[in-house]
Amino acid sequence: MKRDYYDLVVVGTGFASSFFLKKYLSKVKKDKKILVLERGHFYPHEERLKAKRGEQSEFKKYEEPWEKAINNVSTYKKWPFTTGLGGCSNCWWGCTPRFMPSDFKMKTLYGIEQDWPIDYDDLDQYYYEAEELMHVSGPEGTPFPRKGHYPLPAHEFSLVDKILHKTYGNNYISQPTARASRATLGRNRCMTSSTCDTCPVNAKFTIENSNIGVFEDERVELVYGAQVYSLEIVNDVVKSVYFIQDGKEKKASGETIVLGANPFFNSNILLNAGDKSKFLGKGVGEQLGMQVLIYLDGMSNVGGSTWVNANGYMLYEGEHRKDFAACLMEVSNAPYYIRLERGKYLNIASIRLLFEDVPLDVNYVNNTSDKLVPDVHHVERSSYTLKAIENMKQKLPGILSCLPVEKLEYLEPFPNEGHIIGGTRMSSDPLSGVVDKHLIHHKYRNLLVLGAGAFTTYSASNPTLTLSAMSLFAADKVF
Amino acid sequence: MNRRKFLILTGVATGAVVIPSSIYFISGDLKKYAVLLIERQLDYLRLENGSVLKYVNDYFQNSNDAVARLKFKSMYYLNLSWEKSNVLKELIKYYLLSTDFFINKMDENQEVKYIGLYSPYKSPVPNPFAYTLYPPSTIKNP
Repeated sequence: MKRDYYDLVVVGTGFASSFFLKKYLSKVKKDKKILVLERGHFYPHEERLKAKRGEQSEFKKYEEPWEKAINNVSTYKKWPFTTGLGGCSNCWWGCTPRFMPSDFKMKTLYGIEQDWPIDYDDLDQYYYEAEELMHVSGPEGTPFPRKGHYPLPAHEFSLVDKILHKTYGNNYISQPTARASRATLGRNRCMTSSTCDTCPVNAKFTIENSNIGVFEDERVELVYGAQVYSLEIVNDVVKSVYFIQDGKEKKASGETIVLGANPFFNSNILLNAGDKSKFLGKGVGEQLGMQVLIYLDGMSNVGGSTWVNANGYMLYEGEHRKDFAACLMEVSNAPYYIRLERGKYLNIASIRLLFEDVPLDVNYVNNTSDKLVPDVHHVERSSYTLKAIENMKQKLPGILSCLPVEKLEYLEPFPNEGHIIGGTRMSSDPLSGVVDKHLIHHKYRNLLVLGAGAFTTYSASNPTLTLSAMSLFAADKVF
Repeated sequence: MNRRKFLILTGVATGAVVIPSSIYFISGDLKKYAVLLIERQLDYLRLENGSVLKYVNDYFQNSNDAVARLKFKSMYYLNLSWEKSNVLKELIKYYLLSTDFFINKMDENQEVKYIGLYSPYKSPVPNPFAYTLYPPSTIKNP
């Protein structure tokens, strides 16, 4: 570290931190000094490709297995995430639908959990900004309020997509995605590889290929290998962050502190610091995802131009959310679902069904004797979610009756969606959450806690665009 | 083939398992039966001479499911079809994905040639569903 004291200390370099910095740097003076602490290192995309091809890479030593970074107490759940520059932008699959306006008002509309202290309109301009920064590809008409073109054109439809779009209009759309539909600055066009964690052709947005320029800014000092584990708090003011680097205890001090690690680590840092917020670490989880295979009679499902070609909202909105969860449909072109019956090889479509869940106190993070490694407990899914699966099985045959369906095959739920949510939920008052609408900690007012950990409820939609928009919103309103 | 198995085969998943050397001494026999199973299940296709064996050699080198493969011989003699065995289904699916069969638009009159083990990171074979094989102009409107 070059200094003893900084204007801003940021923990993490993933979506939440990077988008926060993008807005922050655009608003503050040229003499500000910012320290960014990243627990991992820079592992370039080119080197990740070498590892995928089985070639030697000196950077491979920087791969940190998620199983060692946390203690996953639950056997049926998995929580894959990536550390290092760009965080989970290095392993996400690039799905960027907005939340629906109703997702922010679950209590008012359906009597479920709590409303968020912000709503869709608060985030609207920041959604546009995040979509622009990610060069999102998408259609003109969407089920959520949005005007005009996406930065890149929508991906191509298959015949199955065309039929469903014709039947359901804007409730069935080309998926808004950060997998580019055209070559764009620093990225190639998606080749439908359906292997997006490390994109074979660098078509997916990552912090590395983003060109957002935050870590190259002269005001920013980026330190790698710094594992932050706690905070120094004096009279409810956060003075410093404690971290370990090269096996040595260190601390960094600043006027404002920003936690932008993933939700498990944000919770762990606060727990280690002695934060007694009632809901800290509670309600961690993610959507439940399961696949249904649609065997088609005499119709092939070819022509799509990206992995998840479309989103269906036919099971999302409605009064049913008083009783059971919304479901977002992701219609994909995954090659591993080809059929083997003679002449029917491509007569199949696959839909991943994402069911929202709700934050349960029995699913939580706690700190341990190893200050760097939290326990993560996920005991159960909510009945709200499980009931939605039964409803889906009743409704789906009717929804798909516009297609020549031979049969449907439901696969077992996936052990993970890669969407870690909760632990530092956002609320209007200190008694019902950890941070306020600007992501400022209710008690420690010079501390912001970013990311999907702050979601009040989960939504059925993929979280990354929303958490990125929240970071832009917070930095814009606070500075 | 489920997504997890596919990811392992294509080298996408982490934690590849090294096949113990004790498996190798019997693998010659297993490979023979894997080839016979593929040829029998796809007997309506013209498979390039020797190319199935090339595929099976590559497959055995990259698949980490050694125990499952031990069943190939019994599958052959039991006359088991892919409908009854996920291991066999996976072997055949992955074979088709590793050939020019989908590039040739599933034309059963053309000889099927092995191109290289299917992998978005190594092989030139595209996703068989993709716009690269079926451009937008060829997708009719409903």
